[in-house]
Amino acid sequence: MRQTTSPNQLKNHLWLIAPAALMVGIFFLYPLCFSLYSAITLDSGEFTLAHLNKAFELYSKDILFTIIIVLISVAILAVLSITIAALITLSPFRSLSKTLGFLYRLPLFIPFIVTAQMMRTFLAKNGLMNNAFVASGLLTPMDTVSFLGWSGIIITFVWKQLAFSTLLISGAMAALDDSQIRAARNLGASRFRILFQIILPQIVPTLGVAMVLSIVTMMSVLSVPLMIGTGSPTMMTADMAFRINSYGDYHVANALGLVSYCICAGLAWFYLRQNLKEKGAN
Amino acid sequence: MAHLHIKNLQAGYGKKLILDNINLTVEQGEMIALLGPSGCGKTTLLNALCGFVPVRHGEIFAGNRAVSQLPAEKRNITMVFQSYALWPHMTVAQNIGYGLKVQKAKRADIDARVAELLRIVKLDGLEHEKVTALSGGQRQRVALARALAIRPDVLVLDEPLSNLDAKVRLSVRHEIKALQKQLGFTSLIVTHDQEEALVMADRIAVLNQGKIEQIGTPEEIYHHPSTPFVADFMGAENHIEWPIHDDAFSLNLSNHDDQLDIYFRSESAVLSAQPKSESTDFNAGLIISGHVEQSVFFGNNYQISVRCGKHTIQADHNQNLPEHTPVTLRIPIDALHVFAKKEKHSDHQKTNIVSAKSMRMNHVC
Repeated sequence: MRQTTSPNQLKNHLWLIAPAALMVGIFFLYPLCFSLYSAITLDSGEFTLAHLNKAFELYSKDILFTIIIVLISVAILAVLSITIAALITLSPFRSLSKTLGFLYRLPLFIPFIVTAQMMRTFLAKNGLMNNAFVASGLLTPMDTVSFLGWSGIIITFVWKQLAFSTLLISGAMAALDDSQIRAARNLGASRFRILFQIILPQIVPTLGVAMVLSIVTMMSVLSVPLMIGTGSPTMMTADMAFRINSYGDYHVANALGLVSYCICAGLAWFYLRQNLKEKGAN
Repeated sequence: MAHLHIKNLQAGYGKKLILDNINLTVEQGEMIALLGPSGCGKTTLLNALCGFVPVRHGEIFAGNRAVSQLPAEKRNITMVFQSYALWPHMTVAQNIGYGLKVQKAKRADIDARVAELLRIVKLDGLEHEKVTALSGGQRQRVALARALAIRPDVLVLDEPLSNLDAKVRLSVRHEIKALQKQLGFTSLIVTHDQEEALVMADRIAVLNQGKIEQIGTPEEIYHHPSTPFVADFMGAENHIEWPIHDDAFSLNLSNHDDQLDIYFRSESAVLSAQPKSESTDFNAGLIISGHVEQSVFFGNNYQISVRCGKHTIQADHNQNLPEHTPVTLRIPIDALHVFAKKEKHSDHQKTNIVSAKSMRMNHVC
């Protein structure tokens, strides 16, 4: 039988959620609304699209650069996370899977700024990676190439996000009934076939969620483009920081933020829809 | 389909040895039930056959092929799982036809085989349904059809009926047995339900702690258990250790120094609601006197717990009896499963050492 709630009880329940709701309102909704408002209004409060126009005029290349960097990163991320998760789930070598299962988690505990600094010392022309190649005789100092720039940003994003997305994907793979995989094996299917025909179709929703959350994270990182990027083109977060630090221009920075929101909102829609679908199924 | 021959098989997980020295032959078209309590190694044996658990020692022959070192995908031994293990993103037809698709069979051949199997398992018309839309019984029939589609050498069934409710279990049990007779597939079925094993199997292998205790026809296993464990597991739940220095128990023995383990079923005990008389015929079998401790209604009869000194004996009776009623139990000699104890903790041996009258026991023991 469904329980009915009296208005008094409802009031009490509202008090219970008030602290959390207040925190969300003050620290998330208010800044978000203010940022959106600032992106489309003048100082006087009148509606304008001038800030958005200026943002596109000055930074359209950077917007495109951001989208390309994020898409390439997420594509590499998907391939690598699936590969690692599949090795952990399907490998017949248990010690290899265990080692891999431990190693892939490490980047989870390293902040982006530390990752960026680490990659800077690793990927530079005279960095750790090139020095190791030179020391091993594979390259001469003249042949070394710096990976600082777009490729460095992608490598850093992938390295950092790999742990998170692999965690989600291997979790989804582990949640599959092991006998489904066994059933396919004794019908003659190879591990490769099992991955593509049995496992992946069942974990597509989780894969989608892992990728969406990784995209949103990458879109919001400032330290990596600042420390690994070479200046121009750069990512939108660096442009926003530049508008604010150099010009105190919050309007254009917020207009760039609005573009970021729009890109992320499309993806968030997918994420929320998936979540609702799963809750509906339960 | 081919015969299956398991020779000196040893298998286990990590350092733990689960199966030791298993020898078993399943003839072509025969169904053998592996019966045993949880943890006795019956599922491990199926996993070793299918290649999911490595074989440490010994050999498995499917027909004339030695398969113990082949990977699971090359053994041509298929399994029907307790959890069905159907793939929820595929339809019924896709599930059944998957093995043939892996073998790169022609589309038309796959369709024809799927249609044939759907007809055999009585699921015609459901080929385009998602497996998640089916009932438990239907899902298990799809799993059976999927396992049979590639015409495996051997079919193994791992507690296929455990997830089904009682009524559906009976019908699926009957269907699997009928299919096995119709198609003649060589199969091993794992179960911990003795009734299921008795009904479905041509022969039963009782497993205990990784070893086969006894193998034989259902009748042999039921009527002539060769070890105390088999007797107990097959429903002879009453156990007494002889000799008992208690007047409540009487049994005529040729040698009074014999150390015996005696087992019998509750339905074999004839209960009379009167105390043991002095003129009792001691050659009538085991006679026990005691009083009713509990009476439980079992549908077609009552199960009476009779307290006899330190022992509680279960007996079936057609009437409810009040607590503390004095009763006498008579168990005919040929209903007793008697095992001689060699030494404490050592192996048992079936015995025929009961008195002259009890010579009838020889064919039992």
